[in-house]
Amino acid sequence: MFETRDVTLSTGPLRVHSAGSGRPLLHLHTAAGPRGSDVVKALAGRHRVMALVTPGFDGTPTHPAVTDFQGLADLYAEFITKEIGGEPCDVIGESFGGRIALWLAVRHPKLVDHLVLEGPAGFRRPSPDWPTTDPEKRQRMLYARPDRVPPDTRSVEQQAANSATAASYAHGVIFDEALAARLPEITARTLIVMGEKERVIPIEAAHLMKARIPHSHLTYVFGAAHALELDQPELVGRLVADFLERGESFIVREADVA
Amino acid sequence: MQFTFFHLMPWPDLKEAPTEWPAPNAAFDGERGTELYESYISTMAYAEKCGFDWVAANEHHFSPYSLMANCNLVGAALVQRTKSVKLAMLGNLLPLLNPIRVAEEYAMLDVMSGGRLVAGFVRGIPHEYIAYNVAPSESRARMREALALITKAWTEPEPFGWESEHYQFRSVSIWPKPRQKPHPRMLMSATNDESAEFVGEHKAMLGMALIVDLDGAAKTIETYRKVARAHGFDPGPDDIVIMQQAVIADSDEEARALMAPALKYFHGILMRPQQDAQRIVLQKTRFFGTDAQREHFVGRLTTLKARTLEDQIEAGSVLCGTPETVVKQIKRLKQRLGAGHIILNMKIGNIADSVVKRGMDLFRDQVRPQVAAL
Repeated sequence: MFETRDVTLSTGPLRVHSAGSGRPLLHLHTAAGPRGSDVVKALAGRHRVMALVTPGFDGTPTHPAVTDFQGLADLYAEFITKEIGGEPCDVIGESFGGRIALWLAVRHPKLVDHLVLEGPAGFRRPSPDWPTTDPEKRQRMLYARPDRVPPDTRSVEQQAANSATAASYAHGVIFDEALAARLPEITARTLIVMGEKERVIPIEAAHLMKARIPHSHLTYVFGAAHALELDQPELVGRLVADFLERGESFIVREADVA
Repeated sequence: MQFTFFHLMPWPDLKEAPTEWPAPNAAFDGERGTELYESYISTMAYAEKCGFDWVAANEHHFSPYSLMANCNLVGAALVQRTKSVKLAMLGNLLPLLNPIRVAEEYAMLDVMSGGRLVAGFVRGIPHEYIAYNVAPSESRARMREALALITKAWTEPEPFGWESEHYQFRSVSIWPKPRQKPHPRMLMSATNDESAEFVGEHKAMLGMALIVDLDGAAKTIETYRKVARAHGFDPGPDDIVIMQQAVIADSDEEARALMAPALKYFHGILMRPQQDAQRIVLQKTRFFGTDAQREHFVGRLTTLKARTLEDQIEAGSVLCGTPETVVKQIKRLKQRLGAGHIILNMKIGNIADSVVKRGMDLFRDQVRPQVAAL
């Protein structure tokens, strides 16, 4: 069961949904806002999962001093230092959260142990297909298995506010050249997870990250589009848990247990 | 039009039909086997000299009706004996195999042959699933996953991992990659609407064998075309590939006299144990998605087996006759099905290799010149 609390940091309060015990694990949400996916719930069975709510999402206050992804990365570094004791911790970033996670790994390499990027944002080029205001097209772009997507419990107004907040941190930059240039500085062992049917994030973005992040793995999940954790929770959960548990050895198959 | 010479590599010496699956292999003679491989591979290489566009092989297991457990080995032999003909592997039985191995072997063939591979991927017929101990009910899901994985293995510029229900490969980077870019053309088979949709969705060439009637085949091909177009691919005549058992001889009477006993040997003796295995597989598993599809498959084979040669010629299931007759039969296939590519399976059952070779010469000299420009 997730518990919600607000942690006071130097620039303002940060909301955290926490569950489980074990090695600390930060989960950074998409531009839609935090969702308690089955993947996150399953990870709480073996980790102390802390799902951070980006300031301004779900009715939380923005921090006037935090205006971009670099600022968010610094804020989360402060959270790790104050709340987790400054030991490196594992970080999962989903889409929008992936861009924050990348900046966190670039600017605070000593605070990030394993880094998981699920369809990470930050390296899109202008496209006629995305973003879209057509709800049906939006659904096709985001999900391979719309039947598996739970209804969003947020009001329509809150959903729109979350999207606007997400956009405010990007300042119109959809291809983050500064971040791309600094990817080689990442020291964390990194798993980039992409849906085999991904349409929002171009495949070139995955190739760029794989080529530039020194200790990285790129894995495609069959039957998943952008919303990996909702489309294929079992496949994604198994993969991520194995990576977090075994690190680089996750590429070595273990014997099936009878 | 384009043409393929296909060889099933049958064992021609059985005296009696094995009654149960699998056919006992006590009758297999190694020395005779060596002779047959030499003869068969030489015949296939000769197809290049007879103007065939492709030479083709496929994969079957535990069966005297085909000595090709791995057609890629035959492909490798043909790489050494041919220069320009395309090598069509029709195909690897994808749900039974390690998809990475298939990606690697096909890439090797493509590179070794200078980019001459046509990559066939098929689900296979029911009995193969017993041979390789794979659940028939998983065949469609495995096929879909493996195809996507192989395409990735051929095209990805970076090492990658793969996570799907049946296949997990955490670190993939094949050497060699295919020579043809982005990858070799794919061909998949379909005999019903479900599989035709699958082929169209994947923008592959459609292969069709054992046609029961031209109207039914035309309907399946239309389904393929419709689905392919919906996925942004408009198939041309060369993408419709029809396999026919074929005997071309100097007279219609001679062709019929040669083909009838060969078909009897093929269906009555070589295919007998497969029918047994098929019965067992189909009654207990979901190899086909629906009962209607299963009945369609079983009915098709039963119909073909029961038909006389005359019926089969009339139905468009076989090519049989003089070059002039066969040209008419090919034109009919083109006109009724829009097929721009015919595969000729000329080594039917125990028909003599000399008959096959005579038919190939007649194809080169009198058939192909009449239909190549169609």
